[in-house]
Amino acid sequence: MTGIELAAWSFPVLLGLIFIRVPIGLAMALCGLVGAYWIYGTPVPLLNQLKQVTFTTFSNYNLSVIPLFLLMGQFAALGGLSRSLFKAAEAWIGHYKGGVAMAAVGACAGFGAICGSSLATAATMGQVALPELRRAGYSGALSTACLAAGGTLGILIPPSVVLVIYAILTEQNIAKLFLAAFIPGILAAIGYIIVISIYVRLKPDSAGRMEPVPMRERWQALAGTWPVIVIFLAVVGGIYSGIFTPTEGAAVGAFGTGLAAWLAGGLNAKTLREAIYGTAIATGMIFMIVLGAGLYNTFLALSQLPQELAQWVIGQGLSPWLVLTLILVIYLLLGCVMDSLSMILLTIPIFFPMIMGLDFGLTPEETAIWFGILVLIVVEVGLITPPVGMNLFVINNLARDVPIVHTYRGVTPFVISDLVRTAILAAVPGITLVALRLTA
Amino acid sequence: MMTTWVFRLARASAIVGGLVLCAITLLSVASITGRALNGFGLGPVPGDFELVEAGTGVAVFLFLPWTYLRGGHATVDLLYNHLPAAMRKAVTLASDVLMLLLWLVLTWRLWAGMWEKREYLETTFILQMPVWWAYALCVVGAVIGCLAYLTKTLIELGLARYPHGWPVPTAGVH
Amino acid sequence: QQITLRVHHFLPAQANVPRLAIEPWAKKIEAESGGRIKVQIFPAMQMGGSPAQLFDQARDGVADVTWTVLGYTPGRFPKMEVFELPFLTPSGERAGEITSRAAWEYAQRFAADEFKDVKLIAVHTHGPGLFHTKQPITGLESVRGMKIRGGTRIVNNMLVKLGATPVGMPVPQVTEALSKGVLDGTTIPWEVGPSLRVHELVKNHTTFAGDRALYNMAFAFSMNKAKYESLPPDLKKVIDDNAGAETSALFGKAMDEGDKAGRDIALKAGNKITQLDLAETQRWLRTASSVEDDWVKEVRGKGIDGAQLIKEASRSKRATRSPSSIWLKPSAGCAPRPASRTIGSKRCAARGSMVRN
Ligand code: NA
Ligand code: NA
Repeated sequence: MTGIELAAWSFPVLLGLIFIRVPIGLAMALCGLVGAYWIYGTPVPLLNQLKQVTFTTFSNYNLSVIPLFLLMGQFAALGGLSRSLFKAAEAWIGHYKGGVAMAAVGACAGFGAICGSSLATAATMGQVALPELRRAGYSGALSTACLAAGGTLGILIPPSVVLVIYAILTEQNIAKLFLAAFIPGILAAIGYIIVISIYVRLKPDSAGRMEPVPMRERWQALAGTWPVIVIFLAVVGGIYSGIFTPTEGAAVGAFGTGLAAWLAGGLNAKTLREAIYGTAIATGMIFMIVLGAGLYNTFLALSQLPQELAQWVIGQGLSPWLVLTLILVIYLLLGCVMDSLSMILLTIPIFFPMIMGLDFGLTPEETAIWFGILVLIVVEVGLITPPVGMNLFVINNLARDVPIVHTYRGVTPFVISDLVRTAILAAVPGITLVALRLTA
Repeated sequence: MMTTWVFRLARASAIVGGLVLCAITLLSVASITGRALNGFGLGPVPGDFELVEAGTGVAVFLFLPWTYLRGGHATVDLLYNHLPAAMRKAVTLASDVLMLLLWLVLTWRLWAGMWEKREYLETTFILQMPVWWAYALCVVGAVIGCLAYLTKTLIELGLARYPHGWPVPTAGVH
Repeated sequence: QQITLRVHHFLPAQANVPRLAIEPWAKKIEAESGGRIKVQIFPAMQMGGSPAQLFDQARDGVADVTWTVLGYTPGRFPKMEVFELPFLTPSGERAGEITSRAAWEYAQRFAADEFKDVKLIAVHTHGPGLFHTKQPITGLESVRGMKIRGGTRIVNNMLVKLGATPVGMPVPQVTEALSKGVLDGTTIPWEVGPSLRVHELVKNHTTFAGDRALYNMAFAFSMNKAKYESLPPDLKKVIDDNAGAETSALFGKAMDEGDKAGRDIALKAGNKITQLDLAETQRWLRTASSVEDDWVKEVRGKGIDGAQLIKEASRSKRATRSPSSIWLKPSAGCAPRPASRTIGSKRCAARGSMVRN
């Protein structure tokens, strides 16, 4: 069997292992090691490679931003920042039709600005907003769906762990990717708010009503969100404008949210322990996948499959837009059953050279950044597509009385808005790139 | 009971990893502050980059045992739920055994790597700190990991039981 | 039967050395073997691991051939480290080629034990290393307090002595770090500049009088020993014919070509290239010689006669250098004089000129 055949066969085997619930990182590591062993014909090079590769993978400077962003999210929740965001949004728009759900989306967007992970955003905002939504008379389907969709803003709006991984894999500038992600992230939030307003008009009984809040209280609630604004400006502003590297930015964010939590009285020995456990589990999960993907990608590179496939696609003379569409559809399908990080780590080494070999009328850097944002969006759709949508599970788990099927149904219009947005951003690269071009 | 002891060790290891992470946070903030006050004779913390790198590596190794015992690794249930009970049991057991094997190999190789770094006297760029020190700390995490995977395998084989009063692994983060 | 050689390195395929040395080398091997050897090049660490692992990857057979910077593993190649010492390697347009030939000879004669686990194909250096900074460097005092990425462990030692703050970060980070306040400057040869867009981020480039460069770095292009041994005699010969001083010079020439292009780009960007005059250079030499002394002391701990190696490394160059060299140790010739950039002895200052555009 040639290396390329072996690599082609390894895909179904890997997916099979993953689908019967072998941990993803483990499955990728095993397939990678076995495949590389097959190609080398001896275990010696691999055993030697393993002397250093685990350590060098885990101690990569660029990856150190990930545990810090996770810690930052934990501290932000402890400091009540999620609550103050939701309260402020609710005070201003809660009395409109569907307003509390819209406020939840807005608060998710705000929290996304200081948290790099979708799951953390969904879980944190879910805890705060779900009881309020139910109390205001919103249906189980709409309440859980708007929070699951809102949770994806955690990663669509920078900072974003998925973008960090993409930047490392493709050697792109993290700060530029963050900047480019900003407008699509805002568009996502607007899209979700439009979905809610249509939803409550078509199904008027799915939303309750709230009394308007006096103007004075609105301003007070808004003022309560100042730590979020300060931290966001410090972190994302600092990373982009010039004061520090992404890792340092994440450290500033973790420090700032930690300080906010401590000042708010939310940080003590017990909550610090809980924050560390949460960070530890999420970090361990991500780095296990990164390690497995690294081993699997070594095998793929050895097999020459990515190189040959990219050559083949370029040689076919297919329309660049057709190739792009096919890739995005593959991500959407994979996203129904896989998580975002594994998908990116698994597929970018194959798809990225293909895309970079095609001509979209953009500079190579623009192509790389625009493609990164498109990939970010389509893999995040996977978080809210049935049957395996992590955000759906997280939120549904918080709402014991809502059957998962209701959540599935409620989230459908949000998925449609994601698809419409993807199509628009794919057709008009300028929307994604405008912020970059203006600041260049 | 051995399992209680391993769970306690893995949890303590996660806490130590978390403290390392907090130290990285403070170090980076100190470094940025020093840099901002460059004009006042201060400067960034020497070797900040290499300390962040080594610290992250150590923290991740210390986190992994707890991730595993809490069932924190990413999994997909797509076909699993449709498998017969015996198959499910077999898959879970096989995963645990494979994880244990993988980590035994990784730990063994990490150990060998540590000796090699020691033998070659490799150092970091700025602080010229021996690289094997960081490896040694990682070995500690890796060994605790092996104990955790062994314990999990024994539990799955019915040779040991979950320690009383400890959270049973959540169903796995999808 | 067909033999595949997997070549692994850390730069993108279109960078100078991969394009001007590794690819031509691969083509030549394929042609001279009559197509029996097929070379697969894996750029940008595609086969996994970090750049610091590359040497071991060749040793261990993870890849068949790797190209790596020996300074990425500080302490590992103490004898080759001599090339990193300040003001030891030549400057000039052909510096890369000249130093690379010298480095090959030196490695064969004095550092063979450091490469005993691999089949060495080429040992080479880059062109002259220099300062690229946001603020101009007019003298020793200018670098005080500057945050500078030093290319190697030794450069970092020197930066500390000069009162600068060395920042140890991976090369790809330099662009971002310069564009922010994280770095005030970096030491690299011209060749690396364009790919990091250094010319857009700093406006000042500083070199020195005399015919020596601020620093250099040694690279190795090495092959797995067992793989080499497994080749039939005629193919071994193909490898042997494409290993050695000439192959090392090929890499050095690629560096020189890259240097020229990098320097032209900086000039075109309207940047200022300053050459410090000889009087000022002498002051740097004093610092440099204390860095040298420290190094000699340090490697003595490893049972290495550093002073001897410095002598040999300098000698192996003298053979290829013009006899009219005005290179002088700080103690002789142009007397060290107090910090005076503007005055300086006429004879010594003759080479101190400012290149403007
Ligand atoms: Na975010
Ligand atoms: Na999904």
